[in-house]
Amino acid sequence: MPGIILKQPLFWFIGIGALLFFADNQLADTRNEIIINDALRSRLSALWTTQTGLTASEAELDALTDNWLREEVMYQEALRLGLDQEDSIVRRRLIQKLGFIAESEPLPAPKEGDVESFYQSNIENYTLPIRYSFQHKYFRTIATAETALTQITSGTPAQNFGEASMLNPSYAYRSALDLNATFGVGFANNIASLPEGSWQGPVQSGFGFHLILINTIHPEQVTPLNLIEEQVFQDFQRSRQLQTRDAYIENLLEEYRVIVETQ
Amino acid sequence: MRILSLFLQLSLLLISCSDTTIDSKNTPASGVTIHRNPNDYSIDKNAYFGDLHVHSMYSYDAFIFGGIASPDEAYKFAKGGTITHPAGFAMQLDLPFDFYAVTDHAYFLGVIREMASENSDLAQHEVAEGIDQVGEDPVLRRQIFFNFTDFANSGRGSELMDETVITNAWNDIVTSAERHNDPGNFTTFVAYEYTGTGPSREMLHRNVIFRDSNTPELPFSRLDSDNPEDLWTWMDSNRSMGIESLAIPHNSNYSEGLMFDLVDVNGNPLDAAYAQQRMRNEPLVEITQVKGTSETHPALSPNDEWAPFEVLVSRLGTDVLIQPEGAYVRDALLKGINLEYQQGFNPFKFGVIGSSDNHNATHVGDEDDYYGVSGVLDSDAQRRGAIPLDTPMPDGSLYFDRYSRFSASGLTGVWAEENTREAIYDAFRRKETFGTSGPRMKVRFFSGYDLPAIEDDNLITQAYENGVTMGAELFATSDSIPSFIAWVAKDPNSAPLQRLQIIKGWVEEGEMHERVYDVACSDEISIDPATNRCGDNGAIVNLDDCSISADLGATELKTKWLDPDYDPSHNAFYYVRALENPSCRWSTWDAIRAGAEPREDIPPTIQERLWSSPIWIIPETK
Repeated sequence: MPGIILKQPLFWFIGIGALLFFADNQLADTRNEIIINDALRSRLSALWTTQTGLTASEAELDALTDNWLREEVMYQEALRLGLDQEDSIVRRRLIQKLGFIAESEPLPAPKEGDVESFYQSNIENYTLPIRYSFQHKYFRTIATAETALTQITSGTPAQNFGEASMLNPSYAYRSALDLNATFGVGFANNIASLPEGSWQGPVQSGFGFHLILINTIHPEQVTPLNLIEEQVFQDFQRSRQLQTRDAYIENLLEEYRVIVETQ
Repeated sequence: MRILSLFLQLSLLLISCSDTTIDSKNTPASGVTIHRNPNDYSIDKNAYFGDLHVHSMYSYDAFIFGGIASPDEAYKFAKGGTITHPAGFAMQLDLPFDFYAVTDHAYFLGVIREMASENSDLAQHEVAEGIDQVGEDPVLRRQIFFNFTDFANSGRGSELMDETVITNAWNDIVTSAERHNDPGNFTTFVAYEYTGTGPSREMLHRNVIFRDSNTPELPFSRLDSDNPEDLWTWMDSNRSMGIESLAIPHNSNYSEGLMFDLVDVNGNPLDAAYAQQRMRNEPLVEITQVKGTSETHPALSPNDEWAPFEVLVSRLGTDVLIQPEGAYVRDALLKGINLEYQQGFNPFKFGVIGSSDNHNATHVGDEDDYYGVSGVLDSDAQRRGAIPLDTPMPDGSLYFDRYSRFSASGLTGVWAEENTREAIYDAFRRKETFGTSGPRMKVRFFSGYDLPAIEDDNLITQAYENGVTMGAELFATSDSIPSFIAWVAKDPNSAPLQRLQIIKGWVEEGEMHERVYDVACSDEISIDPATNRCGDNGAIVNLDDCSISADLGATELKTKWLDPDYDPSHNAFYYVRALENPSCRWSTWDAIRAGAEPREDIPPTIQERLWSSPIWIIPETK
């Protein structure tokens, strides 16, 4: 009996037809959908207007939609084939997007005293170093400088001495860095021990020798917070941003098991 | 090993998350803080020093050479911080700079670094082969570099221009410059190198410097166009949108005469429109750098005894002699005034700067502290050809010569009212600039009909009021002769000065002429009026230890000068050159440290020098 049925063409016709119908049905269910609707078309239309300043005609909009469809199907297929895996550009872009999400959380407004305490714990960054305000007389040789100092000390006015140079006759509020840049490396050290208020020297520079009258030694000076509030606030925000990101990564790592394989 | 690898991956992850390198907690945003006198505004202007040509890890060549320093680290270095050389040693300046610009190649910006990262698309590219071999072997690295440049020159370079990678790198460059800019203390410029080339790899390179925070989304690169005129058109178009920039050509010495050619890229003669566009975009030229000095060539200036200074005579890495005409600054200045004489426009009315072109993100301007400029390729005395190799080269030569003629050169000086982007950039625009071979020498240069005596206590104020300074023009009159004030001060940390010169170029009945005048001599030596030369001051260098004559030379040289050959009907330019006493070249320092003899085929000593921007004399219209 079964043998007879198997030999019936009608059986095969119906059987194969049913299979095809079933298979087609199954395939249709698994195919990805790409939906083109009014929302998409108005988005494309708006994009076109932004880029060209013109309103897209129906024909242009059809062409844009067609183009979008061609790209979208390639994009979908690329995802299906896993082309986004192990691709460092995609990887970096995703990391960057996550980074934006992590940082898009607005930093909570600083609490009373937060900026102040950040300022205090980083006070060295907001402190001006020791600076000097002084006059000087320049001499090419140490002998002329020494002679001049003797005469100045015994009452001859200092304005009678010194040789012309491109240097200024006096400088105000110069830090060690300024001094070394202007007079040569080591100069700041050479005048660090000089007292205020009298002609001293000779002090050697990269140009020769100098008699120095330090009018004022300005001690280290902390810049008051109210003068640099904006700068300190920016530094504080940046420091918090880095901390937020570090914390975000720390939290993420909590949710992963990191396996370190040793050989 | 695995733990290390995990750590590295974590670090990469951290770095990838941000546009910038990670600062440790609680450090100020900029990492290094420097304090200068913030109140040094001067109407008579101050001299500020810096480097406008430095490459970080985003430059394709720098990365292949081993460069690992970011723009952020480059700025830290310029402010006096310490960063690490790819060969492991520390790099630090004796004194911080006043300004600095990182100028990575826009061409392949950040791309090679991406190629070296595992799993990247770019790493799969055929030319990426070996790029992630981050070894110390300079031979291998050089081979990779040549493979890469051959590929890039094959016309397939655009395969590698990944916009995401380039955008990320450019954003980091911009952010780093913004973060480190500190008005009054330290100035940065957003900048990059446009690496245009001629048909046979002639260098038409420029650095593009942006005035302020208005910068483009992406730089215009060689892949956009090899034609510098297209770069200028791009800059013009940016300018119309408020993005102000200027381009500074460099390595004209490797342009085979194309940098200052008398025809445009398409072979058309230059015209007024070309001159205007060029001058609108290129007010300055880099006169000296690591790959040689481009002031003049001995073949162009046979009567200038100081012309053979760090001149590279053959094309890079070959024995093929370069074409000097159209490739040197003095020659171009002459052709410029000749065009002005003949046709009424001058496309070469530029000022000068010096910069390094350092590929370690740093600056090496001191002969006694030269550690090379190309990562691990020239990081020791053998690799840079200062001392013999352990085994001779295949051709039998004892020295490796690719880097031996490189120069520890290139510094920019500007006269600006204060240390801010605006003041310094505007000085670039005015061409109130000078270049040096490394030392921080300073020069004042004025011309006018009523200049003060040089003993005047208010010399500078008076000279600004009654004359013009470097970079400017003076109009000739038939009834008076202008005088010049030239005044140079030594670098307090470098050798004394030997002589002060004024170099003149002029056009007389359609003929171009040049002449070097010594105008002030050290050690009370007088000038021979027949030769216009100072007598020898006798300064020498002891090649056993590089010590120099202690009592010879000057700290300053200063003069008020009249041109004995002045003619108000001639188009002319004048610029200052000042020379130090001789001192050891870096290669001699290297040899002495290694206990070897300095090479006989390389000058053991040099005379460090300074060049000012010119002053032009415009004849009365006939």
